[in-house]
Amino acid sequence: MQQLLDFVSGPLFRLTFLIMILGLLRTFVLDLWGAWDAYRRAGDKKLAWGDAFSKTIQWLFPVRRVFTRRPLYSLFSILFHVGLILVPIFYLGHVQLWEESTGLSWWTLPHFWADLLTLTTIIFGLLLFLGRLISSEARYLSRSQDYLWPILLVVPFVSGYFCANLNISPASYQVFMLIHILSGELIFVLIPFTKIAHCVLMPLSQFIISLAWKFPARIDDKIGATMDKKGVGV
Amino acid sequence: MKKVTAFKSVLWTILGLALAAGVTRMIFGLGAITNQSDTTPWGLWKGFNVIPGIALAAGGFVVTAIIYVMRKHEYYRYAKIAVLMAFLGYLSAATALVVELGLPWMVWHPVVYWQHHSALFEVAWCVMLYLVVLFLEFVPVPLEETSRFAGVRRFLHKYKLILVVLGIMISTLHQSSLGTLFLITPEKLHPLWYTNLLPVLFFVSAIAVGPLMVILGVLTISAVYEKPLEREKLGKLALFSVGVLAVYALIRFIGLVAEGKLATMFVSSWQTLFFWIETALFVIIPILFLAVKQLRVSKAGLWVATISAVIGIGFNRANIAGIMLVRTGEIYIPTIFEIFISLGIISAAVLVFLFCVERFKMWETKWTDPRDRETAPPEFDRSSEAWLGSPRISHRFTFSFILIISLAFGFALISNERIHSEGIKEVPVKAARGGDTLYVDGNHDTFGVYFAHEDHIQREGKKESCVICHHMNLPMDESSPCSACHGNMYTEFDAFRHDWHSSPAGGNVGCMECHPEDQPRLAETAQSCEHCHKDLIPAGAEIEVDDYMAPSYTDAMHGVCVPCHETRAKQKEELKDLALCTSCHGFDHPEYLNKEIEMAFRDTSFNHVVLPFVGDLDKNREDMDD
Repeated sequence: MQQLLDFVSGPLFRLTFLIMILGLLRTFVLDLWGAWDAYRRAGDKKLAWGDAFSKTIQWLFPVRRVFTRRPLYSLFSILFHVGLILVPIFYLGHVQLWEESTGLSWWTLPHFWADLLTLTTIIFGLLLFLGRLISSEARYLSRSQDYLWPILLVVPFVSGYFCANLNISPASYQVFMLIHILSGELIFVLIPFTKIAHCVLMPLSQFIISLAWKFPARIDDKIGATMDKKGVGV
Repeated sequence: MKKVTAFKSVLWTILGLALAAGVTRMIFGLGAITNQSDTTPWGLWKGFNVIPGIALAAGGFVVTAIIYVMRKHEYYRYAKIAVLMAFLGYLSAATALVVELGLPWMVWHPVVYWQHHSALFEVAWCVMLYLVVLFLEFVPVPLEETSRFAGVRRFLHKYKLILVVLGIMISTLHQSSLGTLFLITPEKLHPLWYTNLLPVLFFVSAIAVGPLMVILGVLTISAVYEKPLEREKLGKLALFSVGVLAVYALIRFIGLVAEGKLATMFVSSWQTLFFWIETALFVIIPILFLAVKQLRVSKAGLWVATISAVIGIGFNRANIAGIMLVRTGEIYIPTIFEIFISLGIISAAVLVFLFCVERFKMWETKWTDPRDRETAPPEFDRSSEAWLGSPRISHRFTFSFILIISLAFGFALISNERIHSEGIKEVPVKAARGGDTLYVDGNHDTFGVYFAHEDHIQREGKKESCVICHHMNLPMDESSPCSACHGNMYTEFDAFRHDWHSSPAGGNVGCMECHPEDQPRLAETAQSCEHCHKDLIPAGAEIEVDDYMAPSYTDAMHGVCVPCHETRAKQKEELKDLALCTSCHGFDHPEYLNKEIEMAFRDTSFNHVVLPFVGDLDKNREDMDD
C-alpha cells in the first residue's frame, strides 16, 4: 500500500500535474492563436475591444449579470468555487509537500477555514448537481460531462476531509489518501481537455465571442482560389 | 500527407522527452540526468551531437563553394537547402553545447575575455561567426514571403558572394581546428585515430561529406513529400565527393603507414573492429556505390551511399571525441535522458527543416544562370518543385498534444533521487602530520601536499615570519594550526563556537558579556572576539580578518600559498615552476599512510580524484627545496 502511495504521489503526480499545466498552456495558446487567425482573416477588423474587456471583467465576478436572473444558482456556484480554488492551493498540508520537494512555500489557510471551505465545496457541489438534475432547462442543455464533473470534483474534497481529520477514520487513512490522490490526479488529467479549461480560457472567451460575428464565410478552397478570394471574407 | 504527419509525430514525441530532460538539466545540473564524471567529462552530447554535427553541417560551405566559386550553375537550386542544413547543423551543435556547458548567459565571455592559447577559444569564435554568416545567408529565404524588409533582402542578395567567401574561410578554420583540439590527447586517444594529421583529416572528410549530406536532405524531402528526383544531377554532385573521399582515404592510410601503425590495423581487438567498420562506412561503401554510374544515378544507390557516409563520419567523430578516449579506464554509459536530449536536438532540427521546406521556396532559386535560360528549356516543371506553397501549420492540435504528453511523461520518468541533492558533503578537516615537513592532507584522503614548514620558517625570516600565514591565533597559542578555524574541507565554516563559549566546561561566558542588553541577540550585534581576546590577531599579520566565517580549508590553503608562489615565480627565473599545480600536488604519499589509503578507497563517498604522481619523490623534494 505504501509503495502504491509512493508511486501515485511521486511519478504519477508529476505526470498528471504537468499534463494539467502544459495542457492548459496549450489550450490557451491554441485558442489565442486560432482567434488571431480568425481575426487576421476577418473581413471587418473593427472589434469592440473595450466592450470585450469590460465583459470579461464582469464575468470574472458575475454578481450583477446572473444574480438578477438566477440568484440561488449564482450564490451556490460562487460558494462552490471559493473552496474549490482556495483549498487545494492554500491548504497547509499541500504547501508543506511543495516545500519539501521544491523548497517553495506560501501563505496557508488556517485549519478551521480549510475545513469549513472543504465542507461548503462538498455541499454546494452536490447542490449544483441536484439543481442540474431537477431543472428541466438545465437538463436539456447538459452533456454527460456536466453531470460527472460536480461529482468527480467532490470526491477528493470528501476523502481529503477524512485524511485531514484523522479522528473520524484513523484506520482507513491510507485508503482515503489513495482515493484523494488518485481522484485529484484524474481531475488534473481531465482539466485541460474538458470544460474545466474555462479556468484559463475565461479571459479569451469574450474576445472570441465578439470575433465570431466577423468570421469569413467558408468558401471551398478551390472556388476561393479561382475567384482569387482564398481565405478572404466575402 | 499521412506519412509526413506520422513522421513528425515521432519527432515531436522525442522533442517532448528531450525538453523534459533539458529543463531538468538546466535546473538541477548535469548530475541530475547524466552519467558524466570527472574522468568522463565529455559525454554523448559532445561525441554524438557537437563534433559530428559540425562535420555534417559542412554541406553549407562545400556546396556554396561549388556553386558560387567554382561556378557550377546547375546546382543553384540546392544552394538554399545546403545553407539551411548547415545553419541547422550548427544551431543544433551549438544547442547541444549550451546544454552541455550550462550558464548560457555567459556566452559573451569568449568575445570579451580573449584566451589565445585555447583551441576552444577559436572554436567558440568560429561557431559564433559562422552562425551569423549562415543566418545572413539564409534569412533572405523567409524574407521572400513578406514584402517588408525588401531593402535588407536586396542588400544581402547583392553581397551574397562575400558571405559565401566568409563562410568558406570560417569553415576551413573551424572544421580543421576541431581536429586540432584532439591533438592534446596523445595519451588518451587510441593510436589508430591519434595522428598529427587530425586537422587535415577533419577538414578533408568534412569536404567529402558536405555534398553527400545535402543529397541526403534532398532525398529525404523527395521521400517525405513524394517529389521526383533529379538523379543525374545528384549523381554528378556525388561524384565530387568520391574524389575527395579518395584523397581522404589516401591521406589517412599513408599517415598510418608513415607512423608505423600498419600492424595496429590488423591487431584483433574491438578498437580495430571499430576502425574497419568506420572505414567501410565512410570510405569503402560510398566509393563503391558512387563510382559506378548505374548505382550513382539510382535512388537506392544514392540512399545507401549517403547514409553510409553520414553514419560513417559520425562514427569517426564519435570515435575521436569519445569512444576511443579509452585510457581513463572508466566505462561511461549514457543515461536514457542523455539519449533523449541527443535525439531531441536532432528532431528539432529536422522539424525546422521540414517547416522551412513546407513554408518557403526552398528548391526554387531566383538566381538563374542566363546561359541556361537562353539555350535550355526550363530545368524543372511545376510538378518537380518541392515548394508546397505556404499551408497553414497543419495538425497543430495533434502535435502540441503529443508534445505536452511526452514532456510530462519525460518528467515523470526522472526519479526523485536524481533531482534531490544534499549539497556539498561536509568533510571535517584534520591537522597536518609530521615534524619539520608537514603532510597537509585535511580530509585524510591521502592525496595530500608536502609542506616544508621548517624550511619556510628559515627562508622567510625566522620566528617573525609566522604572521605571514598564521594570521589569527587561538588564546594562549602562538601559532594555531590552519585546521583549527578552517574546519571544513569544501564549505565555509563558522570559526566561532557559541556552545563552547557559553558552556560551564568551556568559556562559561554569560550572555551579557557579548550581547548588549538593549539589542537583539544576533551575531551582528554581539561584541567582536577582540573584545576579550586581545592577542587573537598577532601584530603584523598579513591577512586581514573581516568576520568569523572561515573559508573552506582548500580555499584557505590555496589563498595563502598560491599568491606567494606566484610572486616568487615571477621574481626568479629558476623558480618559474613554483606557480605550477605540480610543484605542490602529485607527490607520492608516505609509506605509513598505506593503511589509510585502503580505508579511503573502501569509502564509497570518496570524492577527490587525483591521479597519483609517478616519479622520484626525493628528487622532486630536492627541486622544491632549492
